[in-house]
Formats: sequence, structure tokens, C-alpha cells
Amino acid sequence: MRKELLKVENVTVRFGGLVAVNDFSLNVAQGTIHALIGPNGAGKSTTFNCISRFYQPTSGRIVFDDTDITHAPASEMARYGIARSFQNLELFNELTVLENVMIGAHVHCGGSLPDRLQAKPPAVMRHIEEVIERTGLGPYREHKARNLDFGHQKLLELARALAIRPRLLLLDEPAAGLRNREIASLDRLLTDLVRTDGLTVLIVEHVMQLVMSISDRVTVLNFGTKIAEGTPQEVRNDPAVIEAYLGKEAAHA
Amino acid sequence: MRILGLLAAMAGLIVLPLISSGYVVYLANLLLTFTVLCLGMHIVIGEAGQFSLAQAAFYGIGIYTSGLANTAFGWPLPLSVLASGLVAALVGLCIGTLALRMRDIYLALATFAFGEAMQWVFLSWTPVTGGPNGLRIPPASLLGFEIVNDRQAYPVVLAITILMIWATVVIARSRLGRAFRAVRESEVAALAMGVSVQTTKLAAFALSAFFAGVAGAMFAIYSTYIHPDSLGFQTTILVLTMVVVGGLGSFSGAIGGAIVFGLISELLRQAPSYQEIIYGLILIVFMMFAPRGLFAFIGDNLKRFARA
Ligand SMILES: Nc1ncnc2c1ncn2[C@@H]1O[C@H](COP(=O)(O)OP(=O)(O)OP(=O)(O)O)[C@@H](O)[C@H]1O
Ligand SMILES: [Mg+2]
Repeated sequence: MRKELLKVENVTVRFGGLVAVNDFSLNVAQGTIHALIGPNGAGKSTTFNCISRFYQPTSGRIVFDDTDITHAPASEMARYGIARSFQNLELFNELTVLENVMIGAHVHCGGSLPDRLQAKPPAVMRHIEEVIERTGLGPYREHKARNLDFGHQKLLELARALAIRPRLLLLDEPAAGLRNREIASLDRLLTDLVRTDGLTVLIVEHVMQLVMSISDRVTVLNFGTKIAEGTPQEVRNDPAVIEAYLGKEAAHA
Repeated sequence: MRILGLLAAMAGLIVLPLISSGYVVYLANLLLTFTVLCLGMHIVIGEAGQFSLAQAAFYGIGIYTSGLANTAFGWPLPLSVLASGLVAALVGLCIGTLALRMRDIYLALATFAFGEAMQWVFLSWTPVTGGPNGLRIPPASLLGFEIVNDRQAYPVVLAITILMIWATVVIARSRLGRAFRAVRESEVAALAMGVSVQTTKLAAFALSAFFAGVAGAMFAIYSTYIHPDSLGFQTTILVLTMVVVGGLGSFSGAIGGAIVFGLISELLRQAPSYQEIIYGLILIVFMMFAPRGLFAFIGDNLKRFARA
């Protein structure tokens, strides 16, 4: 039995009258890729924002590695080892790829004053270069983030999150807008990160081909409520899921 | 090439007082003071992206702290320069804690209001500032020597400027400098990277106040007189114009802007009432047509010209 690294317990999020997430629970096992899927507006990003502490749940608890983080500030998440990417890119646009990734390593650049004053702390740079190489951003190291094409901007979001050296990686639609070739290499990279680096990934994604190929488990949200959970195979054949995605007729066809 | 240029500039700066008139040396002191003021504004606006309009107030705090340190306490020069920076930074920390709850235009307004309030304090706190009569600044002393003219002040002013330029570069390349730019570019992403956004903004604000305070102490070294009239919004606008014309976010632009605009402001001294209008216009024109600053604008056009 694998350890549950992340536990979302009965989380509800209300925006005024709208219940965006409704009594939602989720366990993510260490060393697995767990997908969170559902139609537009289902509450996936809202759930992500609660875990990464950008939103405060109306009720419920969030536990990471046996620590209750329901009330921890968002700026502490990197230190806990929780990294996230943003659905609508949030890059440091005017800064270079290298600088973007270096800021990802912010929490590892602390220590004594001389350490903090270093332009390129050697201990951290090794990991940063490795992340840049692995994400294929090497040739763009000195390019400004805003000048990258969309696919590379998506990769930079991922690279910056990896620079945190997270234990849990939250990815909000990393494959949206990518070409097939790019999706294939994202698939390989994520699988590799989990298999060889022992990372745990919680991924929101609409690209089913990717979800079905990489996920160990899939949870399906609809209108803020969990409607199904299981292996990709189980979820794919679940009538409730088919109905949520395609409408009632399709489910009975 | 760059190194050669730097060496030439250094050599020029060192021999300057030997070959020029007293007025030119005074002007050089003034431009160096503006340079440090601009570096402070560059840190808070250019690097951290926080629109602070209180630079003249911190500059004033620096000047009066220095004056007080000289007359009342008879402190040696390095100590009074440090004290001027620290007092300004401390006030900056207090104001920043309040003002940085706001952002953008509200932050600009709050810091503007603080600047106006400080000018009123300068005008009213007669025992320290001389009030509406202004204040005679006693000569500073360094290692037992009294600094009584511009020529004697110049090496000290130059040394402080170089120190502050060096500090700006070190800060920009440090972890804190990266955090400044992260906050400027995206607060949410900065938070997700573990940057304490509020603390970082506060650090930028206090640092910029420190620079302005040191600039005030520099002014007090070579000047004999200060009146609160020259510590109002027009000075802040002047410094802002320097930084914007030089190119927001560019550190060498901030220095270039300080020098070009220091000269222009000196030329315009005969027409003080038009100054604010002229700076305002220049500011607007630059924000519209050359948002990356004069030097980037010239560079871009030279490139285009060379290609044609
Ligand atoms: N900050 C907010 N204020 C008010 N309503 C919000 C806020 N954030 C999200 N919502 C609402 O909550 C619901 C869930 O939104 P959410 O972004 O979590 O959906 P999602 O599953 O990520 O959808 P998508 O696949 O389109 O990204 C939507 O109805 C949305 O309009
Ligand atoms: Mg979403």
C-alpha cells in the first residue's frame, strides 16, 4: 500500500451563491500520476487553487504529507514541496528562460547573506541546468519568456515548477494547445519524473489521449461533485462519465 | 570595449575637479546626487514594479538627518551618511507597511500624499528644518578635515556614488533582486515560487528610501542651504522623469537619465514655474512613444538606420 501524499477532505468552495466545489474528497498516492478531469467549469482549477492555497475552501481540510495545510499561506507551498503550473500562463514575461527557472529555485537560494547575494549559486545551478536540459529549453536559455512560442511557454511553466524540486506537482492543463509531437514528449517527461525521480503528479487535463496514457488513477468532477474515480479503463467505461461529457443520449446509445 | 569605456569614464571623473571651474564641480556633485536618487527609484519602480512617488520626502529626510547629525551630534561623515540612509529607510518601512496594502494608482496616490505631508512637516518643524526660512547646513567633517567647498566634497560624493552603484548591481543580481523582478512580472507566480510578495515589496520600498536618504546626505556634504520648497513633488517628478527617460527597469538607463536630466533641470533653473509642466510633457511623450527609454529608442533607430 502506497502512502497517501495528499488528502483533500470534504472540501467545499462557494463563490457567493455558486457552489464551485461540493464536498469533494481526493487521495493522491505517493509516486503516482493522478488525473482530475471533467467538463469546463467543473471546479478543477478551483480545487487546484485550494490545494496550492490561492483560494480558501469554505469548508473541508487539505492535508499534505500528514500536515494540515488548510490555512497555510500560498507562499509557503514551495517550501512544503508543492509546485504548480497555471492554466493561463503566468510566466515572468520580461525575464529570460534562465531567470524564470532560477526564480523557481527561490526557496533553495536562501541561507547565509553571502549565499543570498550570489548571482548563480553553484549548488542550485546544477539542478537548474538539469531542469532546462530535461525540458528541452536549453537552446532558449537567454530568450525572454514572452518571445517563446506557446509550446515552449508551456514547457517553461513546467520547468519553473520543477526547479522548486517538488514532491507534489500540480499541473493545470499542461498539454492544452500543444502539438501531438509536443504532447508525446510531455508524456515521456512526466512518466520519467515519476518513475525515476519519485515525483507525485496531480494533473488536470482535457487531452484524453495523454490522461489515459499516463495516469495511474483518474477522478472525474462534474458541477463541483465527484462522479467517478478509478483506473483510466474503469473511468472510460463509466456511464456517468460518458453522460457528463457527451450528454444523456450518448450514455444510453 | 565596455571596460575601456568604463576606464575612460573613471579617468574623466577623477581628473574633472582638477581641470574645471567651481561651477562644473558643483554640477558634477549634483548629477552624482541625482544618480543615487535615480538608483533608488529604479529599485522600487524599475525592479520591483511598485509605483512610489515619495522619493523627494526620503531625500529631505536624508538631508535633515545629516544636518542634525553634523550640528547637534557632531558625528563623523560616514556615520551621518549611514544614519541618513537608515532613518529614511525606517520611515520608508513604516509608510510602506501601510501603503503597500494598495497597488498601482492607489499606491501612487498614497505615496504622493505622504510626500506632500512630509513637505508640510519640513515647513513646520522649525527647530530641525528651519521652517520657511530654510536651513543653513554646517560643513561636514571627514577625518578631522572640514569640507567647505564643492571641490573638497567631490571625491567623497563620487566615492559614495560608486559604492551605491556597486550596491545596486549586487542587489539586482542577488536572490532579492530576482524576487523584485518576479513580483513585478507576476505576483501570483511569485507566490507559487515561495516568494513572500509583501515582504519583498517592503524591502524594495525601504531600500529605495535608503538610497534617497543617502542622496540627501550627499547633498548635505557640498550644499550650504536647503529650503523645503525644493523637497516637493516637482523633485519626485524630476527623478521619475529621469528614470522613465533613461528606460524603466534599466539600471544604466537610470544613471544616463540622471545625468541628461540633471543637466536639463539645471538649464531650466531660470524658469522654475515651467519646470513641472515641461517634465510632465516629457514624461507623457516618453511613456507614449519610447516606453523603453531614450537610450533604447536611439539604439533601436540606429539599428534600423544601419539596416536601411
Ligand atoms: N474567483 C472566482 N470567483 C467566482 N467564481 C469563480 C472563481 N473561480 C472560479 N469560479 C467559478 O467556479 C466554477 C468552476 O471553475 P473552475 O475554473 O474551477 O473550472 P475548471 O474545471 O477549471 O474549468 P476549465 O476546464 O474550463 O478550466 C466556474 O463556474 C467558475 O466560473
Ligand atoms: Mg480550469
